[in-house]
Amino acid sequence: MLAQFLIHPPIQLGPIGPELVLTGTAIVVLLGAAFNPRIGHSTLLLVSLLGLAGAALVSIGLWDWGGELTVLAGMVATDRFAVVARLILLGIAAMGLVYGYHYFRRSGEARAEFYPLVLFATAGMTLIAAAADLILVFLALEILSLSLYVLTGISARLSSVEGSMKYFLLGAFSSAFFLYGVAMAYGATGSTRLSAIAHALAGQTGSLGLALAAVAFLGIGFGFKVAAVPFHMWTPDVYQGAPTPVTAFMAAGTKVAAFAALIRVLETSFQPLTLDWTPLVWTIAAVTVVAGSLIAIAQTDIKRMLAYSSIAHAGFVLIALTAAGQDGISAALFYLLAYALMVLGAFGVVMLVSARGEGRTSLASYAGLYRRSRLLAGLLTLFLLSLAGIPPTAGFIAKVNVFRAAVAAGHWPLVLVGVLASVVAAFFYIRVMVLMYMQEPQDDAEPDRSPWPRVAVAVPAVLTLLFGVFPGIVLGVLDKAAILRW
Amino acid sequence: MLSEYLPIAVLATLAVLFGVASLGVSALLRPNRPTRAKLAPYECGIEPARLPAGERFPVKFYVVAMLFIIFDIETIFLFPWAVGFRQLGLFGLAEMAVFIALVFVAYVYVWKSGGLDWREPAPRRAAAAPPTALEPEAREVVRAG
Amino acid sequence: MIRLPLVLFFSAVLFSTGVYGVLARRNAVLVLMSIELMLNAVNVNLVAFSQFWHDITGQVFALFVIAVAAAEVGIGLAIVILIYRNRETINVDEVNLLKW
Repeated sequence: MLAQFLIHPPIQLGPIGPELVLTGTAIVVLLGAAFNPRIGHSTLLLVSLLGLAGAALVSIGLWDWGGELTVLAGMVATDRFAVVARLILLGIAAMGLVYGYHYFRRSGEARAEFYPLVLFATAGMTLIAAAADLILVFLALEILSLSLYVLTGISARLSSVEGSMKYFLLGAFSSAFFLYGVAMAYGATGSTRLSAIAHALAGQTGSLGLALAAVAFLGIGFGFKVAAVPFHMWTPDVYQGAPTPVTAFMAAGTKVAAFAALIRVLETSFQPLTLDWTPLVWTIAAVTVVAGSLIAIAQTDIKRMLAYSSIAHAGFVLIALTAAGQDGISAALFYLLAYALMVLGAFGVVMLVSARGEGRTSLASYAGLYRRSRLLAGLLTLFLLSLAGIPPTAGFIAKVNVFRAAVAAGHWPLVLVGVLASVVAAFFYIRVMVLMYMQEPQDDAEPDRSPWPRVAVAVPAVLTLLFGVFPGIVLGVLDKAAILRW
Repeated sequence: MLSEYLPIAVLATLAVLFGVASLGVSALLRPNRPTRAKLAPYECGIEPARLPAGERFPVKFYVVAMLFIIFDIETIFLFPWAVGFRQLGLFGLAEMAVFIALVFVAYVYVWKSGGLDWREPAPRRAAAAPPTALEPEAREVVRAG
Repeated sequence: MIRLPLVLFFSAVLFSTGVYGVLARRNAVLVLMSIELMLNAVNVNLVAFSQFWHDITGQVFALFVIAVAAAEVGIGLAIVILIYRNRETINVDEVNLLKW
């Protein structure tokens, strides 16, 4: 029993290069700030961004990986899906760092730990996108979650600490369900490797009952992480309580990472059970888009409204997942990319409107924003149009792709639900626009006038428009990445 | 195919109905009297004592205890290595060195940011200490609540 | 020789006890303890399956779960202390600044 364990696998560190660069940078930043507390935060930001850029370069180098399909004893996948998911996540992290640098400097809560924590969380996110073994999926999930619990509570504001506690308690609760699912999958097939699980299930050497229980429990765990109804309760509280740059980072990052892992787990290890899990995903997707869109209408705080909108968007990605195979994965990847862009942009504008800290996040403070700052009002309009799925934005193309994939798979009732929910959702996005353009400002508070953060927020805006008008530039890449190799 | 799941669906529906019904009925009927005994952290009867009476425990104890638990548990990875030490050879030694180096990084961070100082924090460290200061807004909430 | 279903049943009971604790307890520390109970139920499962399949992966995974659980408790207690310093309570019902 011991002997099989002691034959050590060949060590190929190339495919986890991005994570090594990220953790290395994080350790350098962490110790650098600990040894020299007076170090300028612009230096920390610069080093962190360099680390992200290095990780991105290493990821791109993996695009044409010609070696084995999985390395390190079957733990890490080397396919293009992992490369694309990593690049999206690294971009999200870069935006989060830039936002955070500006936000915490203005609110006077600048803490050097912010940078390494974001880098550690990013390492967890990129690792989960490449994980080909349930053990690694769990470890990566914990790396990103534990970093995010701390990031949520990094501000001394009471609501931040409270959001952190709720996130932690529900997050740990969901991890336990996830783990139980992993144990069931292991019990059903005798392995935690995704490919070995698939082979055991396809060859019917495993226990079907345990495997179905595993799907259910893993579904609960992933449902919490991607914030699908009925596992969404933590989302609005945490998104509202966390400092806005952290919200932007985790809203975009966690969703992309958790969906990447969910896609890989469902489409590889539980592929033999596709007929069993599709109705499950179908139901959750329908409930999620409807509930997310309906509850968002009742919100009076823009961060809560965006939180419920992000729940609805999780439902749209789930709609893409009901169309198994390359079409579904490609549509889901494009949706995640578009979603990340618009969420980063929308929360960036929220951060700038709120000026300092979290003072002005109620919808009322958006009344007459057009008079205060045409640029911010224009940017927010663009992001809201994209969230609503109105052309010529990336959100529109993303929704069309998702619906097309689902119809091709024969799930047109689900698409009907999705379209109706989009119409409902358009209502509360347009309400914010009406507030911005048609109403008088209620107070004389000025939004943040710093130039650089505006440039940062303009980046996702440009990309949202670009991918909306010329989606072909990324769709080709995403199609190539949508084949899972295992 | 889906009809195979009918028994499970029926069972799940019954379970949810039972749960919701019993929670709902008890929420309507029960009086809400959170007595001290119900809120006590341990139900074995031992009360968590505050020593000496009324005085607050220095939070340092918690910090040190938590750090101890984390570093203590990390050593469980040493046990399987120690069992297979001879067979693993140089490879195992190198892997373990990497692991210990990483744990050491965490230790250096804790040390440098003052987590292990027992005395009152020096002014230099004020920025690195955990966020304890209440903002005016938060202070008001505490008073109001 | 203990039969596998018996162990699985025990683990399921342990897990359900943990779930009940998380849902019913109002003291944050108790909720944390209940989550630990759930994680340990998983460990029992993993070790049982490891024995059943004559495969060591499960036992290795159990070690990882223990280590991660310790890290989780460390962060959880830190957050609870932060809440207590701010609010003088760790009753999760009273921590309700954020409302839906």
